[in-house]
Amino acid sequence: MKRFLSGDEALAEGVRLARPQVISAYPITPQTVVVERLSEMVEAGQLKAEYIHVESEHSALSAAMGASATGARTFTATSSQGLLYMAEVLTYAAGGRFPIVMMNANRATALPWNIYGDQRDSLALLDHGWIQAYVQDNQEALDMALMAYAIAEDPRVSTPFMVNLDGFALTHTYENVEIPTPEEADAFLPPFRTDNKFNFENPVNMGYSAGPEYNRYFKYWAHRDMMGASEVIAEVEARFAEAFGRRYPGLVEAYRAEDADVVLVTLGSIAGLVRSVVDELRAEGVRAGLVRIRYMRPFPARELTRALANAQAVGVLEKDVSFGAEGTVFTNVNSALQQAGDVVPTVNFVGGLGGDDITPDQVRGAFATLRRAAAGESGPSAPKIVSRETIPTESSERAAGLSTADKNVSRETSTQRRVVFLGVDDAEGGR
Amino acid sequence: MIEVLWHGRGGQGAFTAARLLGAAASMRDGAYALAFPSFGPERRGAPMRAFTKIDDSAIGDRSAIKRADFVVYLDDTLLDASDDAWARELKPSGRVLVNSVRRFADPRIVALDANGISAEILGRPIPNTVFLGALSVLCDAVRVEDVVEAIHQYMPAKLHEKNERIVEAAREQLLAERSNALTSAPCESVGADVDACPSTDTAENAENVSRETLQAENVGGTTETVGQDAAASAAAPAIDADVSRETSDVVRSCAHIPVLRSHLAEPPSLDPADYARTTCYPAGHLVAKNAGWRNERPVVSAAACTGCLQCYLYCPDGAVFKTSDDATAVEIDYDFCKGCGICVKACKFNAIGMIPESEALAAAAQHAAVAQPAACASESEVSAR
Amino acid sequence: MENVTNVASATTAETRSAASAAAAAAATATAAGTSPAAKHAAPKRITAKTITDDEFFFGHKACAGCGGSLAVRAALKVLGPNAICALPAGCMSAVGFNFPQLCFANNAIITPFAATASVLSGIEAGLRAQGIKPDDCTVVGFAGDGGTADIGIQALSGAIDRNDDILYICYDNEAYMNTGIQKSSLTPFGAKTTTTPAGKNAHGCLTQKKNMFEIVAAHGIPYAATATIGYLPDFMSKVQKAASIKGTKYIHVMAPCPTGWGCSVDETVELAKDVVDCGLWYLAEYEGPEVSGKPGGAFTLNRNPREFASVEAYLRRQGRFRALTDEEIASVVAGRDAKWETLRSACC
Repeated sequence: MKRFLSGDEALAEGVRLARPQVISAYPITPQTVVVERLSEMVEAGQLKAEYIHVESEHSALSAAMGASATGARTFTATSSQGLLYMAEVLTYAAGGRFPIVMMNANRATALPWNIYGDQRDSLALLDHGWIQAYVQDNQEALDMALMAYAIAEDPRVSTPFMVNLDGFALTHTYENVEIPTPEEADAFLPPFRTDNKFNFENPVNMGYSAGPEYNRYFKYWAHRDMMGASEVIAEVEARFAEAFGRRYPGLVEAYRAEDADVVLVTLGSIAGLVRSVVDELRAEGVRAGLVRIRYMRPFPARELTRALANAQAVGVLEKDVSFGAEGTVFTNVNSALQQAGDVVPTVNFVGGLGGDDITPDQVRGAFATLRRAAAGESGPSAPKIVSRETIPTESSERAAGLSTADKNVSRETSTQRRVVFLGVDDAEGGR
Repeated sequence: MIEVLWHGRGGQGAFTAARLLGAAASMRDGAYALAFPSFGPERRGAPMRAFTKIDDSAIGDRSAIKRADFVVYLDDTLLDASDDAWARELKPSGRVLVNSVRRFADPRIVALDANGISAEILGRPIPNTVFLGALSVLCDAVRVEDVVEAIHQYMPAKLHEKNERIVEAAREQLLAERSNALTSAPCESVGADVDACPSTDTAENAENVSRETLQAENVGGTTETVGQDAAASAAAPAIDADVSRETSDVVRSCAHIPVLRSHLAEPPSLDPADYARTTCYPAGHLVAKNAGWRNERPVVSAAACTGCLQCYLYCPDGAVFKTSDDATAVEIDYDFCKGCGICVKACKFNAIGMIPESEALAAAAQHAAVAQPAACASESEVSAR
Repeated sequence: MENVTNVASATTAETRSAASAAAAAAATATAAGTSPAAKHAAPKRITAKTITDDEFFFGHKACAGCGGSLAVRAALKVLGPNAICALPAGCMSAVGFNFPQLCFANNAIITPFAATASVLSGIEAGLRAQGIKPDDCTVVGFAGDGGTADIGIQALSGAIDRNDDILYICYDNEAYMNTGIQKSSLTPFGAKTTTTPAGKNAHGCLTQKKNMFEIVAAHGIPYAATATIGYLPDFMSKVQKAASIKGTKYIHVMAPCPTGWGCSVDETVELAKDVVDCGLWYLAEYEGPEVSGKPGGAFTLNRNPREFASVEAYLRRQGRFRALTDEEIASVVAGRDAKWETLRSACC
């Protein structure tokens, strides 16, 4: 059935179809509509779940964890400060391997106080052991709610799952969404079964402490199973395509990237804009491409480097910055490229903070910067960039007989400022 | 590097001593020391360790000491002579210092009556600073004037003078015993446990250590004497229990109780690939007893026991249990009794008394060795009979 | 001293036979438990003789003489094998749950520090949603004074507001003992802690103990009670009564800590009696409107002694009050008298 829904509503429909048995949530803009819709569904009997009206986000996730420890399928939702307020519990839920699904409405973090969308909330919590997915439209929001349970509850994964929707750009923006029937959803997503729960016949102790001699094993397996989730994600997406006819592309989505000279890597709803700019540039004869990161954890290092293999310059556009360093996505992408031995100029475009619009012109400007980078140029107002050709590798240094001093100079150059604040210090496409 | 490993019970002042030793050894220029406690969930009364590392250059390694030049036992019930685990903690030329009136055949073990020395001066036995004095004799890196200075800098003023005297007395006794040892005949038995029969005096000191004068030591580092007058000594109950009973592996018959892993027919997996993927494990799974926490134990007099069960009711550890046997209403699970003595106070009929752990263990050892009434009965046991 | 007879849910005289737990649970209902909110009739009073031999909290690493561990042990013996426990960061979780030494015989979990009540709510909701909650399953939390009156009070208030079917037990040792004796909002006036040192300018804690029992009762909770490990049968009968009532229940049990209070390890039970006998702690119950049948609910003072034991003797036997002057002790006594005047006029 096709319905014209906001992202919050679409996600709530997906949650309804997943039949969580316990929902505990606390309202916060722009997540509120999700919990309102779910409350209505529970009241109307469309969703048979215990709805716990908790008094805070910290309690929201704590209650979800308690319910998950009884073997119940659980759901919670939050945003921004609420996510940060429950941050402590994120590590409990992940360490306890409770496959809770949480929707996070990506929103700016205070101060200044701001209710609008950016991704600084969830990206600040990448290290807390949750699978993190970022969707680009409302259909994906609904579908991801269903897939999230299938992935998180798989015994090989058994890890909580955070579905991220850009505040307002997705949560409060309406578009047509195809809603599966409950029968279709049930066939795709069986009831939750786990041994990681209380047991009245053979009681268990859960969530205990473990000293230095044991702790590392718990952390090792949390890491290993999260890495292994990539495979499960692919399996679940294949089953999803079979059940619903919508095929998702795995941890990253590459668009016209294979033969692209310049590629912009991004995540969330802004990918839609980048996609249209890529099409325009292609029409102008510019070989531009897009890689959309769908999962920040597990991080798609292999998929990214494969998708970026032919790029002459790579940009990362994100609604986040780690003050004093660079955007967190940028750090992750650079690490993947470096590990793969792929020496390519990279530029970080930080924009959309606090709900700021990212304009088509800014995206075009970003591609222009990347093209100059690919050509080895750099201007006074633009980041200093060394092109793929001009960055010396060890073998080329040896061949050229470069001295250590020369080498240091080129290293220094290559680590120049590479963060562009859109609308503040970008040379082109400023407002 | 000189490494000193301290064994004590939580609250006995082992870390205070480790800290004072480190302060003393690094008092002069160019000397460095680290002192740190073992960190764990165990509480007051539990065996714990502390470490002092001393060197003439900065010490980077902050890990626990595996093999030490000196291993100090503030409580001789912690020195297990049944195997050579104690010896494996020693460097080749290392030595053990133990608070004991026992004598030991192994020349690597130096016994000092630290309870006696400290009780005489402080009025109650706090053995920790005795070993500062001892180490100032045995270890060149520790100068007695620096030990005294450390006491002045890091202990409350009211304790300075007495602890100085303790250090001096310890030095004298150690020097005297060393010269004595050269002339007297060696002990007969092998191993550490030559003479396990303590005198009555020592038994009383041991009791005092646990009940009166624990030095509360928090991991955070505060040290406080929380001594109180022992009330238990006022009315010594009749002790007619068989203290020589084998104390290990008590089997209790109730339907639900945490059980030692060693008692499980099919213990759950300890392979990380199994257990480390969740934090969910069979309930009530124990790998360690708490028997090592106490240095005195409650014993029940069958004759005096009325079966009121107040001892059972008020035991914080569930270590007193009801028996089906009609002779006694309760027994004590010595695997898990921490020796707190609440049962003694709960008993309105004077049917429970505390005896030193060393006495009970000695009796048990005798019993096991000759399968007849212990030849080495304690004073209290004899008088009770 | 042995006059705590009018304990909670006064029932028939205790049985003399050593009944098993099952027999005790199946015993004929008497007296209490007839209120509309009662889940099932209250069984016979639990005594040392009738209580189960089972031990559900055993092998733990609490200090010798720990009052908190006695409270947990006693409560679980009353609640039986189907109780599910949740414990936040604190002494009892630190000493009871260190893998692979796991000291609870029944289902149990550690919660985030602030989240005892909300995890309890989640557990209860999860069981109910799946229809798998046994009749004799009490979802019970054990949190310390800091975990309850400070960081956990918000979640607790939320759970009471929702009237989730849980039992929350606060074992009160009057400071953050797990971290080494720091002041909480339940640390009494004059107590020395590591963050309220006794020196020239202050003789320990300068604030008064927060009254959690009354704060909780003000929510209109179905059942709340105060207790002490010094009078264990009273505590156990309150636990038993709480288990029979549907909705949120709260029991506040005084549980002395030898390390933090500065007493010998064998004195904790005595101190827990003394604190009641000298009037600085009182044994009471509150039954909410639905349970009591009275609008606004009803308070019961379980003990109303004609004469108090000496406050000074109680304070002076603890190291933490050593710095108190005679004037300060007199002010503690005056505070006690004022409190009891209010109590007596409210309850009697």
